[in-house]
Parts: sequence; C-alpha cells; structure tokens
Amino acid sequence: MDILINGMSLVLNVETLMVIFLASLFGIFVGAVPGLTATMAVALLVPLTFYMDTIPAIAAIVTTSAMAIFAGDIPGTYLNIPGTPASAAYVGESHALAKKGRAREALGINLVCSVFGGIFGTIILIVVAQSLAEVALQFSAFEYFWLAVLGLSCSIFISIGSRIKAFLSLLFGVLLSTVGLDMMSGAPRFTFGVPDLMAGINFIPVMIGMFALNELISYYGSRSEKKNIGIDDSDSVFRLVPNHLKRYWRNMVRGSSIGTLIGALPGAGADIAAWISYGVGKGRSKEKQMYGTGNVEGIVDASSANNSGISGAWVPALVFGIPGDSITAIVIGVLYMKGMNPGPTIFMDSTGMIYALFLVFIVANLMMLPVGYAAIRLSKLFILTPSRILMPVILCFCIVGAFAINNSVVDIWLMLIVGLVAYLLAVNDFPMAPAILGLVLGKVVENNFMSAMLRTGGDLTSFFARPISVGLGVAVILLWCSPLLIKAYRHYREKNASASL
Amino acid sequence: MRDLFAGLAFFAAGVATIITAQQFPTLPSLQYGPSLFPSIVGGGFCLGGAALAVNALLARRQLALARGADDEPPPVAQKMRWTMVLPPLAVLFYIVASDYLGAALTMALIMLTLMLVRKTAPLIALAASTLVALSIYFVFSRYLLIPLPQGALFEGGLPWIF
Repeated sequence: MDILINGMSLVLNVETLMVIFLASLFGIFVGAVPGLTATMAVALLVPLTFYMDTIPAIAAIVTTSAMAIFAGDIPGTYLNIPGTPASAAYVGESHALAKKGRAREALGINLVCSVFGGIFGTIILIVVAQSLAEVALQFSAFEYFWLAVLGLSCSIFISIGSRIKAFLSLLFGVLLSTVGLDMMSGAPRFTFGVPDLMAGINFIPVMIGMFALNELISYYGSRSEKKNIGIDDSDSVFRLVPNHLKRYWRNMVRGSSIGTLIGALPGAGADIAAWISYGVGKGRSKEKQMYGTGNVEGIVDASSANNSGISGAWVPALVFGIPGDSITAIVIGVLYMKGMNPGPTIFMDSTGMIYALFLVFIVANLMMLPVGYAAIRLSKLFILTPSRILMPVILCFCIVGAFAINNSVVDIWLMLIVGLVAYLLAVNDFPMAPAILGLVLGKVVENNFMSAMLRTGGDLTSFFARPISVGLGVAVILLWCSPLLIKAYRHYREKNASASL
Repeated sequence: MRDLFAGLAFFAAGVATIITAQQFPTLPSLQYGPSLFPSIVGGGFCLGGAALAVNALLARRQLALARGADDEPPPVAQKMRWTMVLPPLAVLFYIVASDYLGAALTMALIMLTLMLVRKTAPLIALAASTLVALSIYFVFSRYLLIPLPQGALFEGGLPWIF
C-alpha cells in the first residue's frame, strides 16, 4: 500500500501535472500538422527529458504520443488529410461526416474512443502485461509474415469500388516499399543512384503526397471556391456521443482489444492497429454498404484501436525491453537513461515507480478529454478560414513536414512525385488506402519471408509448421477464397430454394 | 476509356519492373534473391493491368450497345483548370529556390502567389503569407530544430528576427 501511495505522490504533484498539461498542448499541435508524427514529437522531447525527473519525463512522452494520435484526426476530418499515419485508416469516414456538417460529432466520437482506447490499453498493461508479452514473444518471422499478409489482404477487401484497382493500388505501395538496399544481399533496388533512397522510402512524405498534395491539386483544378465542409449549428462535440456509444460499445471494446494486442506485437504500431481494426469492423458490420459514406462504426473501431495500440506497445517494452513501436523504442532509451531498466525486474521495484507510470497513463488519457475538447472547438478555424488562404498554408506545412523527417530535399521530391501519381490514380477512381498499407506492410512481408527462408533453407512448408502460423495462414487463405465461398453458398441456397418450390 | 489506358499503363509498368528486377544481383547461397518481390509486384501489375483493360473494353462494348439503343450522348468529364499545376510547380519552386532565397521568403512567395491566383485581396494575401511564413520558419527552426534553409541571399542568417 505504501508503494502505491508513493507512486501516486510521484504523479499527483504540481510539476508532473504541469508537464502533462504542456505536453498535451505540444502533442495536439504536432498531431494536427500533417507530416509531423507522434514519433517525431516524442523524439523532439528527448533532449528536454534530460532535465526532468523520471516520472515527469515519462509523463511528457506518454501524454504527447496519446495527444498526437488523437489530434491527427482533426485535419483528417476537416481537410481529408490525416495528421498522423494512425488516422489514415478512417480519414474517409470522418471527412465524409464533416461534409455532412457533422465534423464536431465525428471528432467528439474520435475523442471519446481515443480516451477509452487509451485507458483500456492501460488497464490491459496493468493486469496482463507479463502474460501478454509472453504470447507476443512467441511470434517469429512466420507469424509476422502471415499477419502482414492478412493486413494486406484485408486492405483489398475493405476498399470501396473495384477490387482490381484496389489490388493495383496495393501493389504500387508494395513496390515503393521495395526501394532501398535489399535486406539479405545489400543490393540497391530502384534507388537510381540517389544515396538518400538507400535506406528506403519514408512513409510520411508518401502519405503527405497521397493525401495532401493530391487534395491541393484537386482544389486548384476546380473552379468552385465552395467549401466541402458544411457548417451545422446543431453540430455538437459530445451531444450524440452517448447514442453512438450505446449502439457501438461492442466495436469500441473490440477495437481497443485489437489495438492493444497489435500494439503489443513488436514492430506493429498504432497505424497498423487502426487499419486491422477498421477492416475487422467492416467485415463484421451489418451496414457494410454505409462504409465510406461517413459511418460512425468505422471511426469507433479504428479510433479506439490506435490509442489502445499506443498503450499496448508498452507491454513488451516494459516487461522485456523490446519496443512495441517506434515510440517505445525511444522510450526504452529514456528509461535506461533514468535508471528505470525495463525488464521483469521493473515490477519488483519498491519505490512505486511502476505504479506511478501506470497512473501517468490514466491521467494523460483523462487529460485528453478537456484539452481535446478545446482543440475541437478551436479547430473550427479550418472552416472559418477561407480555402483560398488555408490551402497555400497547408501546402507550406506539407513541404516543411516532408523535409522535417530526414532533413532531406529528396523527401520533398518524393512527396511531389507520389502526389502526382496519386492524383492520376485518384481521378481514375483508384483507392489510396491500399497503397499506404502496401508501403507499411510490404517491407514487413518481405523481410519476414526472407528471414524465414534463410532459417529453413528455402522450405516453404515451414510457414505451416507452427500452430499460430497455421492459424494465421488458414485465415489468409479463407479470406482469399471468401468471394468464391460466398458465391458458392448463395448458389447452393438459391438452388435449394428453387427445388423446394 | 480511362480504365483502358490505366490498365495498359500498369501492364507496361509491370513489364518494366520485371525487366529491372532481373538485373538485381543474386547470391548463390540464397534461394530467393532481391528480385523476388519486385518481380511478384511486376507480375501483379501485368495481371491486374490486363484485367482492368479487358474489363474496360467489355464495359465499353456493353455501353456502346446500350447507347445504340437509347441514343444518349456520352457523359462529359469535368474539365479541370490550368491552375491545377500550381501546387506541384510551387513544390518544385521551393526545391529550386529555397537554398538561395531561404525557406521563409520562398514560402511567403508561394503562399502569396497561390492566394492571389484565387483572388484573395492583395493586402490580406501579403499580410497572411508574410505572417504565416515567418511563424512556420520560427516554430520549425527554433522549437522543432529543423534546419530549414536560411538562404544564400541573406548570407546564412536573418539576424533581425532570429
């Protein structure tokens, strides 16, 4: 009990609470600017954490990452430009709602789901941290390969419109992921002699090009100055949230569970959690036809998942010192620096640090409610500012955001080229989402395939030799065959019905 | 018609990808070399592109038959303005000019031009572009520690501001 009280006193003091508040504002700003990611925000905080005590330092990181992930929804909703990669999965839904004059409602549900997801992930972190991390550790290259293939396959099945176009869009993303030095042989691929491309293509400039530059070209190509976003005076942040939660509480719990699990897998972060949760949500939905038209259900699923993924990523980080995502990779460094060595012994600490850390998560997520609410109210700026002024500002943010990733002009070129290709694809009704997922998961698929083949001497049957791997492999094959199976089942039912007549 | 061209373009991209991938070096100890995944993607491009083109041709044939029956004019695609080239040109301008003019001035010029093209009042455009460019420069350089180019024009510094 003394340890618990000690832990609480480490958090509930003026210094830590002030740090949490300031980190909230910083996280909201970074998340709302397209191109600046939660990871970048955390990386920028590291030099500041040198001068802080352990708990305020951790609090700053936890709060900033959680806030940035939520704030990524704000430009996504108003401008169809996701602020962070974790918002890309459901940007279509929230922007479609904004077009109907329900931007605040969309952001309100985003906010509440983010808070719920964050707290859910924290509770899981507290209760089952150790056992969950053990399951995650059993995943090897075979399981990661199938998991990534499952994610890629889902992106085709959840996309709206032609599946051939979704497939081609996905391959475009996968092709981008092959750029750079080959993992096994070290041979450069599609680098065209540019040294900056040797390390591969960064996800952020591609995302900015695909979503933001594409949107800007469309805006300057159109004759109309009319805003896409409607303003409805009755639109309120929280008024309809209880109704939505009553209807979709299962989605929120499921999204949070998926997010925590995926977040706990080393290497899979909030963005992948959001995509998979959105895909699962759509697959199980009774209103599949409503997806893409501003469906709250899709937002609930994915928005809960990305924030719970942030908390889930701390499970392997704390218990085994293995980062769950890029943020926790930075966090582990900070923990070591502060003498709070991650590993099983962290739970045996007698100073209450671990309880303080858990409490930080809860306070940071609760802080999201008032700060997020204020940010949503202020975000009306996106509507009130005329597009003719807002769009050039967005363009400059995009240029600087793309440059900021590696401080390299190559990333601005990349944004430009991908933006032009994306525009051509978009006017021909190719969905963008599969391309983004192809870029994220393409490398995961290839690297794990190559590692597995190296380990087994090229034996392809080894992908079906481990229990979890078999389960995932069968799920993938069933998903691929699902259109045929559904068609066959319908044919069988129709035949039976006509025979009974 | 667009789908037909898109399909053919993907097919051509697939062929180019496979040819390029075949030139990647392979190691004798590896069963699967660096060309495997690009070749799979190239193959996918060829298959998907061909399927898209064939579907477009079939759809066109069906449409022609249907149109012959009701004598309807073909749908007219929405015309885009020439100004659609401005955002890519602005990015290009930043890449070329920012090292000389500096990020702040280049961004201000880009914003001013884009605002004036969309008929923003000149005074408002000038004030907004100057203010926003300086704010972005200040926040990114000072607080986010991004080394945005200061520009040779200012001999490496904007001392009166930063």
